[in-house]
Amino acid sequence: MSAGAWRANREPAILLGPGVLFLLLAFFFPAFQLLAQSFLTFGTEPVQFTFEHYAKAFVDEFYAGVALRTFRIAFTITAICLIVGFPLAVIIARAGPILRASLIVIIILPLMTSVVIRTFGWLVILGPGGVISWTLEQLGLIDNSISLMHTEAGIIIAMAQVLLPFLVLTTLGSLSQIPPSLEEASRVMGAGFFQSMFHITLPLSVPGLASGSLLVFALSISSFITPSLVGGVRLQVMAGSIYQQMTGSFDWGFGSALSVILLIVTLLLIVPYMILVSRAGGRQ
Amino acid sequence: MKQRRNWLATFGAVSLFAFAQHASAQETLTINSFGGAYEKIHRELVITPFEKMHNVKVEVVTAYSADTLAQLRAQKDNPQFDVVHFSGGLEHAAAAEGLLAPIEPAELENHSQMYDFAVAGLDKGIGPTYSTAVIGLLYNTDQISEAPTSWSDIADPAYQNHVLLTDAASNTYGMLGFLMINKVAGGTMDDIQPGLDFVQKILSTSTIVSKSPEIQQNFAQGSAWIAPYAQDYAFTLTKSGLPVKFVQPEEGGVLAPITVNLVAGTDKRDLALKFIDFSIRAEASSGWAEALRYTPTNREAKLSEEVAAQVVYGEGDVAKLNTFDANAIAKKRPGWNEAWSRAIAQ
Repeated sequence: MSAGAWRANREPAILLGPGVLFLLLAFFFPAFQLLAQSFLTFGTEPVQFTFEHYAKAFVDEFYAGVALRTFRIAFTITAICLIVGFPLAVIIARAGPILRASLIVIIILPLMTSVVIRTFGWLVILGPGGVISWTLEQLGLIDNSISLMHTEAGIIIAMAQVLLPFLVLTTLGSLSQIPPSLEEASRVMGAGFFQSMFHITLPLSVPGLASGSLLVFALSISSFITPSLVGGVRLQVMAGSIYQQMTGSFDWGFGSALSVILLIVTLLLIVPYMILVSRAGGRQ
Repeated sequence: MKQRRNWLATFGAVSLFAFAQHASAQETLTINSFGGAYEKIHRELVITPFEKMHNVKVEVVTAYSADTLAQLRAQKDNPQFDVVHFSGGLEHAAAAEGLLAPIEPAELENHSQMYDFAVAGLDKGIGPTYSTAVIGLLYNTDQISEAPTSWSDIADPAYQNHVLLTDAASNTYGMLGFLMINKVAGGTMDDIQPGLDFVQKILSTSTIVSKSPEIQQNFAQGSAWIAPYAQDYAFTLTKSGLPVKFVQPEEGGVLAPITVNLVAGTDKRDLALKFIDFSIRAEASSGWAEALRYTPTNREAKLSEEVAAQVVYGEGDVAKLNTFDANAIAKKRPGWNEAWSRAIAQ
């Protein structure tokens, strides 16, 4: 590198330094270790190279089922957050300062509550003899008390609640950059409220919606505390079964293989999505 | 003013130092206990009376069994503990690794008062069981008027949708309960398929939880009527006002021993043995039952009528208790965890 190039790049390099160092230590190093572990045998001397962990993960129907459930749940949560979050973000963006602040606080509140307390709150609402079950029973719609605890629906409801702020806040960022005059212009030109919303507001907030939904998807695919507390032991998700392999069965090789698969599949889904979205965004 | 404070501080430091010197002149025994309410009662029943009786200081390190085992391993050449307490069967692993020292029956005055199972491993380095948790059936007395009598009663159609099982993969009591269900269903330690089949049969009308607070919730909300779990936890539920009773089924409950062990290589062997002997005396054994509803392992332990009705007590009932080999469990657990997770998966 010439002296001139160094001088030009010096400041960015210094600014990037702490972040890169942290990523190296806290992400790339452990991720690389996991990758190595996933190809090694355990308990044999000497340690050997093997594909057995991957073979088990792919051949075994049980783990395919767990993976399928994980992605199904993550897609559903993302879709719900998009459907609920976009209109909400529009309202917040257009609201007066007081209403706006209080709406934001209400949406962020679940994030600030400990996961244990939040889950116990859901237990009171979703559980057998809980509010939902009691109401349906009083209305005469059901005979026996029902429970949404230990169901996929329960996991989705509880996760969508806590992940919603990620989508709303990022979308809010995009929305606040849209000049109100654009919408006003479209309305003046004779577009109805929903037409203007669909042709002007929605396309212009795509960048926010995209990064928000990516966040929601990535977080729901990797979370295991809420799924294990609300979903119970019978509904395993990938992160939960990795946790169990690592801490319960001490099968680090297989646990690592599952982690690597989760990472790769997530990247395979996310990268094309990002490319697609940036093209769509570019056309506007 | 400031000077005076300095003077006071110096005086305080000097007297503290003198006190510390005095204390260290006393012989010190280092042990672990499990913290919280358990440690408080441990101090009342054993530690404080022992200190007074022998004019020694007992240094208590709060550490659960797994932590204690890890520390013993790390300090193998220079052990810092003299006596260690274990639950969950880890004394078997520690003894097999030579971290615990064998004890001669003659070295414990109270040895003859102990039930056989409680001192069965002394020659291998497994210390006496000073009290034991028992896994049996918990049931809601408001919903079930006649106490269940057998482990297989959890498949009784009358309890459908109200059976609460505990995850065997993540909960030790859950695993012990499952092994007993397996035994009653005709399985062995080499074949848990009968137990898995039994559980699968009742799976669609049962709930499975993984942590004990969830058991409390389910009983409190009325969704659980019957659950295989521990006798001492039934007492926790009773204390919180729930109509729950513990019963030992006719096939017997399962022992979950809590042991007091002599650390190999301690230079205070005599004092440590005195402590162990003091831990297994009848008063301590009955004290654990009174306070936390653990079953006494000393034959001479006397219980009030109220407590006796809530724990497995007396020669005849104790004889029914089942033991599962902790070493075999440790070795097979990874495979069992996986088989269990598959069997219960939705």
